[in-house]
Amino acid sequence: MKVSFPYMGTTVIYKKLLEQLGHDVIMPPIPSQKTINLGVKYSPEFACFPLKVIMGSYMEAIEKGAEVIITSGGHGPCRAGFYEQVHSRILKQEGHNVEFIVFNSMFRDFKNFYKNLMRIKADNSWIKVAKSLMLVYDMMKKLDVLEKEVQVIRAYEIKKGETTRIWENIQRIFDQANNKKQIREAFEKGKELLSKVRKHDVKPQNRLRVGIVGEIYVVMEPSINMKMEELLGSLGVEVERSQYLSQWVDYNVLPDFMNYTHEKEVLKKGEKYLPIEIGGHAKQTLGQIVDFSKRGFDGVVHLMPFGCLPELVSQSIIPRITEDLGIPVLTLSIDEQTGVANNLTRVEAFLDLIRGKHSKKIS
Amino acid sequence: MKIGIPQSLLYAYYFPFWKTYFEELGHEVVVTPMTTKGIIDRGVKASVPEICVPIKIYLGHVITLLEEVDYIFVPRFVSIRKGQFFCPKFMGLPDMVRYTFKGIEEKLISPMIKTNSDNIGNTFSDYKFMEKMFGISSQKNIKALEKANEVWLRFREYSKKGYTITEAMKIVLDGYGESSFSTNSDSNSSVTIGLIGYVYNIYDSFISMDILNRLREMGVKVKTFEMLEEDSLEKELQRMNNKTMFWTFSDKLLAAGYSFYNNPEVDGLIHVTAFGCGPDSMLGKLLDMDTVEYNKPFMTVRVDEHTGENHLQTRIEAFIDMLKRRKMNMKRGA
Ligand code: SF4
Repeated sequence: MKVSFPYMGTTVIYKKLLEQLGHDVIMPPIPSQKTINLGVKYSPEFACFPLKVIMGSYMEAIEKGAEVIITSGGHGPCRAGFYEQVHSRILKQEGHNVEFIVFNSMFRDFKNFYKNLMRIKADNSWIKVAKSLMLVYDMMKKLDVLEKEVQVIRAYEIKKGETTRIWENIQRIFDQANNKKQIREAFEKGKELLSKVRKHDVKPQNRLRVGIVGEIYVVMEPSINMKMEELLGSLGVEVERSQYLSQWVDYNVLPDFMNYTHEKEVLKKGEKYLPIEIGGHAKQTLGQIVDFSKRGFDGVVHLMPFGCLPELVSQSIIPRITEDLGIPVLTLSIDEQTGVANNLTRVEAFLDLIRGKHSKKIS
Repeated sequence: MKIGIPQSLLYAYYFPFWKTYFEELGHEVVVTPMTTKGIIDRGVKASVPEICVPIKIYLGHVITLLEEVDYIFVPRFVSIRKGQFFCPKFMGLPDMVRYTFKGIEEKLISPMIKTNSDNIGNTFSDYKFMEKMFGISSQKNIKALEKANEVWLRFREYSKKGYTITEAMKIVLDGYGESSFSTNSDSNSSVTIGLIGYVYNIYDSFISMDILNRLREMGVKVKTFEMLEEDSLEKELQRMNNKTMFWTFSDKLLAAGYSFYNNPEVDGLIHVTAFGCGPDSMLGKLLDMDTVEYNKPFMTVRVDEHTGENHLQTRIEAFIDMLKRRKMNMKRGA
């Protein structure tokens, strides 16, 4: 079957898994202005921004021949599996014949999960499925390690844009890897390439570190968040995201008893400010800010889709965290009208602020 | 003690319960006046700009109470139906309040509401903490809850008889007779409208500009979700099986919407939604897409703090006229 999926972050992973199982993968194009326009045109006006962009992505994938769309349902009280509801209804209304396979947590509805799994499994043996999953998981972990390195090096590169180009190259190399050995080689190659980036020598006490937190889609998808990581990097700042794909998998897919993820710790740290999960990533957002602050980061950029319900709750609480812990936080809400110029000014002003604070701290 | 209750959000659905409960415990209950321009302005100032109008209004009510009372009641609504939740903003409401207003912490009473039915009085454990807070015995607490429950259930019965929430409250709390209000049942109106909207929008006359009574004044019979039997809503939800929205009140409205679509007595649907409501954008879209299938007109009224009254009146009138003409034509056609 010709399958596609929503575009988010390092998509080579999803592609690889489906290819391993012998499916015909239609890559959704990287979200562009066209994607956004399409999405905005066909989505409810006040729907959240990720819903709109994904809507556009689906339409482009269908244009390219996708027949089946695979997506996750999520399990929070917000957004949750409901996106698919709206997406599939609207696509049908627009005359597109496409089928959705929605993966909700297997702990909630195993029967459905199993049914979906069987579809994806197709004629492969279970051993093959297990192997492919392991392979992709391994790949995901390794890519995340490299990406974290990218986010640090970028701040100090001498030739602007070099690190990003290498990172794109690394993803292509991984795309070619089809077994354990090749993945290891890709990883080594990636490390080597990154080590060759020529860097400015910046004294440790002069380094600035900024964390990025917020709703998963706008955090993970550079094409709709003004390429925030690249932007901060190019302004000389080390970056770390609150979310990485492998973390997400560890936290959401592994059963509780083997789930010793950092994310659990982080959630605890935010508890003072928000004692319960309220959907989306609100609780993570607050926990991550506390965590970044405790780890000595200089500031945090908080990204949220315009009107995002849980993130509005976190946004309301953030000023108090700043007051309590002294960590500056810049909230940017993102939608189809996000003026890049306007937000750019805000980011620059924010960096001036934390630079000032930083130099006071060390002097 | 003086306990303040904001006349906002779920006030319209649960006030009879809350009032009875606190009074049974021997406290005085202070309620904010109905939303005014002043209350809204205060709320807007205290909120993050993008948040929905109902939350802004709620914060305005909280500020209004701040100076006047010993405690402010801000419950944390998490879930009143298995597998469903409240909109995230309800779940984080006490935290938003606590971290927005300095020094309010000691004043907050915030039970966490997690039950499996609308009847929030049936899990005593949610209110256990009040015993320590007010130094009362479990026995007294339970008795107060039982009494509150009883009053609330009576209140719900009146809703189901077709009284508006305002009327039902007056009957159970202020001793008005049933005959003081002409309910829907005895009007010989020409058109029936299914009015879909959260209680805090429909019954906040500042937000909805009293659309319910406006409709009645035009001789229209109005049905709202809280006038329907829970079973029938439940049945609609079952029919949709997995296709519900996870948010309790949004689901109730969705179910009510479909039950209105399926009810031959209902001539058209009006959806009242406050600016910035995320769940409503989905809810409205789904119902709107089905207007063709059920062959019933559907109208959205989106309100915010600036909506003009005349504009609304004109739109409703036009909609009702259209429904009347339509009905005539259908009769003639038959
Ligand atoms: S988490 Fe935010 S972006 Fe997501 S559905 Fe909820 S409101 Fe929308």
